[in-house]
Amino acid sequence: MGPFLQYTVIGLTVGSFYALVALGYTIVYGIVRLINFAQGDLSTLGAFLGWTLLVTFGLQELPLPLALVIAFVIPMLGTAAVNLVILEIAYKPLFNKSLLAILISALACSLILSNGIEWIFGPRIEAYPPSLLPAEGMFLGTVHVTFVQIALVVVSLLLMGTLVAFVQGTTIGTAMRALAVDHDAARLMGINVNQVIRLAFVLGALLAAASGVMLGLYYVQIQFSNGFLLGLRAFTAAVLGGIGNIPGAMAGGMIIGLVESYTTGYLSGKWEDVIVFGVLITVLVIRPVGLFGERVAERM
Amino acid sequence: MSADDLLLTLLIGFLAISLLRGLGYRRLSEDPRFTTWLNRIDRVPYWSRVIAFLAAVALLAYINGDDYFTSVLVSVATYAMLGLGLNIVVGFAGLLDLGYAAFFAIGAYTSALLTTQAHWNFFTTVPLAVLFTGTAGAILGYPTLRLRSDYLAIVTLGFGEMTRVTFNNWDYAGGPNGILQIPFPEIPTFSLAGVSIGYTFQSQFDFLLVGLALLAVAMIFAQHLEHSRLGRGWIAIREDEFAAESVGVPSLRLKLYAYVMGGMWGGLAGAFFATRIGAIDPTSFTFLLSVNVLIVIVLGGTGSLPGVLLGALIVIGLPEVLRTFADQRLLIFGIGLLVIILRLALGIWPRIRRKPQPYYGLEIEEPAKVAAKILVEHQQQMVRRDARHAAAGHRVIEEGEAILEVQGVVQQFGGLRAVDNVTFDVKRGEIFSIIGPNGGGKTTLFNCITGVQKPKAGKILIDGRSVVGLRPHVIAGRGVGRTFQGIRLFKQMAVFENVMVGLYPRHRTMTWQALLHTPGERKDEIRTLEESRRWLGFVGMEHLAGRLATELSYADQRRVEIARALAAHPHLVLFDEPAAGMNPTEKLELDAIIRKIRGLGITVVLIEHDMSLVMRISDRIAVLDHGTLIALGVPADIQEDPAVIEAYLGREDEIPMPRAKGA
Amino acid sequence: MAILEVKDLHVFYGNIEALKGISIQAEQGQIVAILGGNGAGKTTTLRAISGLIRPRAGTVTLDGKNLVGRSAHEIVGLGLCHVPEGRRIFNVLTVDENLNLGGYLIRSKRGLVKERKEAVNALFPRLAERRMQLAGTLSGGEQQMLAIGRAMMSDPKVLMLDEPSLGLAPILARSVLRTVRQIADRGTTVLLVEQNARQALAIAHRAYVIEVGRIVLDGNAADLAKDERVQKAYLGGFEAVAAN
Repeated sequence: MGPFLQYTVIGLTVGSFYALVALGYTIVYGIVRLINFAQGDLSTLGAFLGWTLLVTFGLQELPLPLALVIAFVIPMLGTAAVNLVILEIAYKPLFNKSLLAILISALACSLILSNGIEWIFGPRIEAYPPSLLPAEGMFLGTVHVTFVQIALVVVSLLLMGTLVAFVQGTTIGTAMRALAVDHDAARLMGINVNQVIRLAFVLGALLAAASGVMLGLYYVQIQFSNGFLLGLRAFTAAVLGGIGNIPGAMAGGMIIGLVESYTTGYLSGKWEDVIVFGVLITVLVIRPVGLFGERVAERM
Repeated sequence: MSADDLLLTLLIGFLAISLLRGLGYRRLSEDPRFTTWLNRIDRVPYWSRVIAFLAAVALLAYINGDDYFTSVLVSVATYAMLGLGLNIVVGFAGLLDLGYAAFFAIGAYTSALLTTQAHWNFFTTVPLAVLFTGTAGAILGYPTLRLRSDYLAIVTLGFGEMTRVTFNNWDYAGGPNGILQIPFPEIPTFSLAGVSIGYTFQSQFDFLLVGLALLAVAMIFAQHLEHSRLGRGWIAIREDEFAAESVGVPSLRLKLYAYVMGGMWGGLAGAFFATRIGAIDPTSFTFLLSVNVLIVIVLGGTGSLPGVLLGALIVIGLPEVLRTFADQRLLIFGIGLLVIILRLALGIWPRIRRKPQPYYGLEIEEPAKVAAKILVEHQQQMVRRDARHAAAGHRVIEEGEAILEVQGVVQQFGGLRAVDNVTFDVKRGEIFSIIGPNGGGKTTLFNCITGVQKPKAGKILIDGRSVVGLRPHVIAGRGVGRTFQGIRLFKQMAVFENVMVGLYPRHRTMTWQALLHTPGERKDEIRTLEESRRWLGFVGMEHLAGRLATELSYADQRRVEIARALAAHPHLVLFDEPAAGMNPTEKLELDAIIRKIRGLGITVVLIEHDMSLVMRISDRIAVLDHGTLIALGVPADIQEDPAVIEAYLGREDEIPMPRAKGA
Repeated sequence: MAILEVKDLHVFYGNIEALKGISIQAEQGQIVAILGGNGAGKTTTLRAISGLIRPRAGTVTLDGKNLVGRSAHEIVGLGLCHVPEGRRIFNVLTVDENLNLGGYLIRSKRGLVKERKEAVNALFPRLAERRMQLAGTLSGGEQQMLAIGRAMMSDPKVLMLDEPSLGLAPILARSVLRTVRQIADRGTTVLLVEQNARQALAIAHRAYVIEVGRIVLDGNAADLAKDERVQKAYLGGFEAVAAN
């Protein structure tokens, strides 16, 4: 029983990061039917921006709460700006063109972003200050949980909760959900569709950046190439839960995190990819709309 | 000239030509001299053009003599092969495949394992590599090809990654180190008439020759496929899967073919790759490779064969030329890719259908001869079909008997009853119209009859056999033709090709015959072409046969759609609002065409809103309102029927509504 | 003074001319019916006015302000609301959320939103009962009420309805149209596209009949209601009408 709970804890922690990035994929896809391949790289960008602030700019010298807040907020804002640029330059002009063209554009953006990060921040593995956060933890039964793990999961859940509250509780959030059904009908309500699309991209980027910083704080080591694998896992999670479905993306993220963790624990790390994709393919074949059903705009 | 300079010149030269071509093409394609010149080129058989071109490339490499330059060309050839394969999957059939590297890997590892472990000769491993790859494609494709296109993208991506990781973890295949010391391809030494013959391909130039030979075969096969019944079926699916299925193209089966065949190409390239590099490991088969191959075909122009070559040249050549910026290579590549896709979403050398005139050298027949021929052919078809029908033990429906029987059909969407217990018969040889106010369930009924939807309850019999639960292409194959509300032609195809797709169920050739373009296949193609021209003549569209479907006016497109529905000699056709959007003259022409169709003995069922047309032309009319059949009879009766009048215009209120203020 | 004026509208779908010079006028507080068979161009006319399609030529003015060229959401802000054919409510959102979206432009004024919602509930009491229900689970008639109620949240000067009686049982259709009358009586101008000619003519002031992109009949609704040509236009073919 012992290792199982331990793996579960790890899986849920990582899963919550995946969930954040998956939400970004799902919100955007639900509205504009586009796989923003750059989403994973946005997370990496957030991680590196956070690292730059903490290490290069010496933010780590400041009192911890202040340092952390800035290390989250600035990367989130910066990444949001980058995602908006990507939207305007690479996606908007291709919106009604072929599916393939926009797919290539998304892949190109991912290439540019990840290699741009390499160019600016360097190809080496960099490290978040390892002594920044307390390493202490506690035992729950036989399971060892660090306070950092708890904190990060709590922060992730808070962020996800805020997003859900926003999307359910505000009128603009409702407008976003409406766009995942019918664009023209939304226009006829006076909704500025372009503006709401921009909002979706901003939200996706904010979440991605936050997850990037958290990954940096959790794993300590970051590298420019992280984005690809992360994006892949997160998109798998989004599809698993049902693309466009917000609770689905959250659940999907957790599930993928758990599957990964159990595979590494019980089998071996090298089979992670195979098992994760195996799970995805099996689910899709049995239930093509994903576990919780999809929510994609029928009429654009 | 250094290798770099040569490469750069080639690249710039090709880019310049293609940009010019893109810019000037519209004007050029109007110029009859240009078309004549194109037609003249067309007369030279494709295979000789391909061989001439590739021989020129080989010559260039030989003269240049630089090993590095030659090896770059070998890489270009390899990527071109991969591009041709993916082109079938993505460019022809429109399937979003992001995991093509898997096929490359399977082919490479199969060949490498056989040559290193079992000591086979390279050339004998090739068929096996191709076979394994094809099998893998079939296994993965079968359950997943029905998924929507974006999901298919992620699933194929997953397959690519899974394959790489599996090879990485498999010790027999060398694990992360892969397979080393893969032997060169060789023709084993043997004696022929006292002369000792044998050769080992080991220099870069040797590999270029092998690679170009394989590429030549691949290109020729691809070209043959494109202009075959299979190729047309693929493009039809890509353009409009729904319409393709309804004219008899089995879409799922063809998607599987595309995925498997495309995959086999990749396997072939993989086998070649393994022996050429001499050592393979999992890092050669990453997602980046799949992306690169995708970029090759999108950049060059999906579906276009010259485009694939160009794309391969750019994707391989450009990073080589930019070697000095090696560190930022991928970044520059990404930026360049973005710029190109934004400006030229169709690719640099897009596949543009030309306007052949006259095509395939066929004679132009006079209208009277056309009509007579069609009538004779049609009658022959009918006799043959009735005979087969009887031989299979089914009853043959005579003129005047019910050819279409709708019994108690119910269709429900959630809580809404779109079709509520509708029963009627359509007799063979009559013109039967279904009318009724908007939202009455008419198109839903059509969808049930043609297999697009399955009714919740009720029976539908065509020719005495039930069609409920059958897929649309099966029903179409049984002799049912259909046109759609809002025209659904295959936009990127020429008019005559659209009609040829309609003949899909009636071909007799197999895929291998198409690949080799055998005389039998050629005859079949010409026969199909003639038939399509005849049907176009029947609807009066023969003079526009070479045009792209999108260039036609709405009414003309409708006529082509009718020709497509008639192409396979159906005995029942269903037209959904054929007169929509036509002016009075066009409607009169439509009237004449429908009568001509009935003159062939084909039963016509119409959904129509134009009352004067309906009243003029129909033998009997059924009226559907709110999903219920409220009247059935001859036009004169329907026009006077109070229930019908009320359905359309509304009832006189018993309780008068208060008059509007100020009215 | 006409609150809505459409002059010589030409709309193309690709190369096909769908509207060939449509001119329509509506005075404030009037109900103007637009009749015609399927595919005649009625829906296209509404879409061109509300900004979903851009006409190639012609003008549309609302209260003197030009609408052509403006985006659809801007036009809503100017006081014109279009309820599209088939209702197009957001079926995964609740009735309440649909209404909130109807009040998107006034979303910052909570009090006003509440007020307008109450007015809508007064118009359609059945909706009030189903506030938290998912819109997709409503019956056809209730969905239509929701669509109109949603439009009324923006308190438009001009309300355009595209076939509100589509797919509704006659009793419900009558009830919906009666409510439309109430709305007009309060001063909202209504442009009503209908296939169900008689009921539309019963509540309208003026009517236009469109066929194949052109206006073939127009005039006083009461007069047209007695006009045999209207019946012919539906059941006998408009060529007979146009020829007269």
